[in-house]
Amino acid sequence: MSDWSRRRFVVSTGAVGLTGLTGCLGGDDGDGDGGDEPGQVGSGRLGRDPPGGTPIADLPDLSGEIDLYSGRGQPLVGELIDFLDSAYPDLTITPRYDSANNLLGRLDNEGDNSPADVFFTVNAGALGALNDRGRALELGDEVLSMARERFRAPDGRWVGTSGRVRTVPYDTETLDGVPEDVFAYPDDERFQDAVGWAPTYSSFQAFVTAMRVLNGRDRTRGWLEGMIAQGAEEYNDEFLVAQAVADGDLVAGFTNHYYVQRVIEARDDPPIATGNTTNDAGSVFNVAGAAVVDTASDPDTARTFVRHLLSAEAQEYFVVSRTFEYPAIPEVDPLDRLPSLEELDPPDVDLTRLSNLEPTIDLLRDVGLL
Amino acid sequence: MATDTTTGPTTAPGERERPATDDADADADTGTGTDVTDGNADLPTSVVLAAGAVAAAVLLPLLWLLVAGLDAGVEGLRATVRPTAVRVMGNSLVLVTLVTACSTAIGVPLAYLVVRTDLPLRRFFTVAAALPLVVPSYIGAFAFVSAFGRSGDLNGALVGLGLGLPRVPEVAGLEGTTLVLTLYTYPYVFLTARAALVSMDDSLVEAARTLGHGRLAAFRRVTAPRIRPAVGAGALLVALYALSDFGTPAILRYDVYTRVIFVEQRAFNTDLAAVLSIQLVVVTAVVLAVESRLRGDAPVHSTGGRSTDRVRLGRWRWVAALLPTAVALVALAVPLAVLVLWLLRDAASTGAALAFQPSYAVNSVAVAGGAALLTAALGLPVAYVAARGDSRLAGLVERATWVGYAVPGVVLGLALVYFGARYGGGLYRQGLVLLPLLVFAYVVRFLPQAVGATRASVLGVDPRLPEAARSLGADRGRSFRRVVLPLVAPGLIAGAALVFLTTMKELPATLLLRPAGFSTLATHIWSVQDQGYFGYAAVPALILLGVSALSMYVLVRTEGGNVR
Repeated sequence: MSDWSRRRFVVSTGAVGLTGLTGCLGGDDGDGDGGDEPGQVGSGRLGRDPPGGTPIADLPDLSGEIDLYSGRGQPLVGELIDFLDSAYPDLTITPRYDSANNLLGRLDNEGDNSPADVFFTVNAGALGALNDRGRALELGDEVLSMARERFRAPDGRWVGTSGRVRTVPYDTETLDGVPEDVFAYPDDERFQDAVGWAPTYSSFQAFVTAMRVLNGRDRTRGWLEGMIAQGAEEYNDEFLVAQAVADGDLVAGFTNHYYVQRVIEARDDPPIATGNTTNDAGSVFNVAGAAVVDTASDPDTARTFVRHLLSAEAQEYFVVSRTFEYPAIPEVDPLDRLPSLEELDPPDVDLTRLSNLEPTIDLLRDVGLL
Repeated sequence: MATDTTTGPTTAPGERERPATDDADADADTGTGTDVTDGNADLPTSVVLAAGAVAAAVLLPLLWLLVAGLDAGVEGLRATVRPTAVRVMGNSLVLVTLVTACSTAIGVPLAYLVVRTDLPLRRFFTVAAALPLVVPSYIGAFAFVSAFGRSGDLNGALVGLGLGLPRVPEVAGLEGTTLVLTLYTYPYVFLTARAALVSMDDSLVEAARTLGHGRLAAFRRVTAPRIRPAVGAGALLVALYALSDFGTPAILRYDVYTRVIFVEQRAFNTDLAAVLSIQLVVVTAVVLAVESRLRGDAPVHSTGGRSTDRVRLGRWRWVAALLPTAVALVALAVPLAVLVLWLLRDAASTGAALAFQPSYAVNSVAVAGGAALLTAALGLPVAYVAARGDSRLAGLVERATWVGYAVPGVVLGLALVYFGARYGGGLYRQGLVLLPLLVFAYVVRFLPQAVGATRASVLGVDPRLPEAARSLGADRGRSFRRVVLPLVAPGLIAGAALVFLTTMKELPATLLLRPAGFSTLATHIWSVQDQGYFGYAAVPALILLGVSALSMYVLVRTEGGNVR
């Protein structure tokens, strides 16, 4: 039964290269980096080598019940959670999918009668908010040491499980590249009436928040007004911005990196590429991550579950599945068509501060974007 | 023995048929020597107590607002008087006024057309005019932006046709929000006004005409006062919906009070969101007070002798048909077109994890059905007290049930989580109390819809009928079951159907209170739309519209059929 589900998981992720892993899952103690030939190269994600890192088979077994509060949507992570659930016969994972703010509001109101064991969510702000309430338990070295430094909370009470970067997707038929300074965009006439953004979208608001934190309110206002003067087109959603770039309707836009990947995945060689600014709000690196909640019925089981989110299989899933994210562990590489974490030059900003939305929304309102 | 001569200050003289019957009632009550409360001639104490209990139950979750408010303390108070909060409250009031006025201006004429004139295809137009109610605002508003936003699909397509069609102005801001909210809420006014017109005795209109009044004067002097309570109830539903809706103004970029609440909630400040909701409740109380001054409650139980005389529109028949056609076209065709467009565009692109499962529809129908039955049952005593009771207390009991309607769903959901976790113990942790809490949340949110519809039909029952039953030896219970209940049934069913429809599309409280793993059409639509997979929202959205349209058809048929 569980073998069957493992196979199905492997097939459903589309990663033929993962077949090497099925062997280790089946019982032998390999370290997951050896073995079978990768499958035939297809859309780019098929040809990946089997991932490094700690395979699930090398982690302690999970059993009992885990109540998972997931701010990450079922369409994105449901497959992974179901896989982990069926990987152990004695384990029942009960995922509750909702927005991160609803889940935190829930935890506030449930107090110590919450069923929550693990909080798994889309951005560091929500994890920081949980931690600020004193509701996150220490994860310990066994968990933290699996992740890259950048993905660990300073006090060790949450860990990033995957990452995303702010990018500037551009039309490869018009441009060869984009300016490396986000503040160059308002004055660059190539973007006049040809750049798009999604002001109501939470990731965009986090981007403006980062600019506010890094450069101050006045400079941010100047940037927003400059972009408005450029005739920036508004969209409801950053996926739509990326699609408009690929359609040739826009020369460039501001989106999270994975929207570009989703467009590339859905189309046949669209004329779109990912540009990055350096060391400013335009290239903020944010993480999705997990924390063990203080109401966890068995904190050690919960910690082991978080380790599973950092396993080779889970990390590969975040990279090749719909999310196209940056892996949190050094042994797994991001997609080839993305710049590596070392090439990126994101600014140094306290990610948990990016949840301070109120001043950002006031600012967006002041300049007439909301 | 007090009679109702102290109520209905705005009712024109000569339109009351009641004092005589009340006297008879009063005598009978004195005779049996029981359950006469002050002035409530027809009201058993048990009914009053039941109504009071229902009102208390639905107010209970709002206590949480006070608990959270105390937690938020001074910071909370400061939040409510911040310049932004004050400014956007003004915006909210402007929006509420405009939407209510526009909905009345569309709903009443439409109701008049389908009931009192020889409009062609009247049954079709009756259903079509009511149907926009089933479109959730998160689909309707999203569709309008997708179609007519700055880079809208339909706009692009229209321009692309090259027929020289002008670009439709962008739907956004105050105008856009008013337009979209009106399109999806005017059916409240249409349905209540229509019900009142259908059950109205038009021999009165004929009498007025015989006495030399023109059509317009007859409408103003006879019809308008009689449908006013119903129109008022519908307008109140519209006003409080517009006040508490977050989705539509957010998507159409008009800054209203609910946005302030939502920003606090999204920035993880639950307590502040609760305090800000208290202010919304206060405004609701003001709206309720205004409505009660305007209501002018003429009891209009019909005495039979109806005729089927309709206004002959002559060659204007088809011109008149343009109004319901245009409204239905804009309100229904736009979202349908956009949904189909999404379906065609995105259908092929992703895997099975997002695929629609029939259980979503089953879950939706099950919880909405349960909520509809329970709400209609609980609404009956409240409606009875509201219709028959003359005391201040009766008014208070009815209005208390409205407060929950104006509280944003997410706040109500959090309140019930609070009580569930606090008093539910291990049952809460196992998720066993969530489904009952969810259904209760629907009752709190939608009780006024059931009360409004039921109350109108209780008003239509001549008190002499149960009285006659009792004089023939039936006890109170029997006379209620055998005489009153069958007469009130159409209102009960209409109320239940309204609750069913709004529950089907309810999202925020559903998200918070559904048991883990329990997905409905609404939560599934949210889930895929939230991740940008719009194509996958199309099928569940179309099913949601289909199921809702079916129950709307039942609603219109039932109330139309039985009253006739």
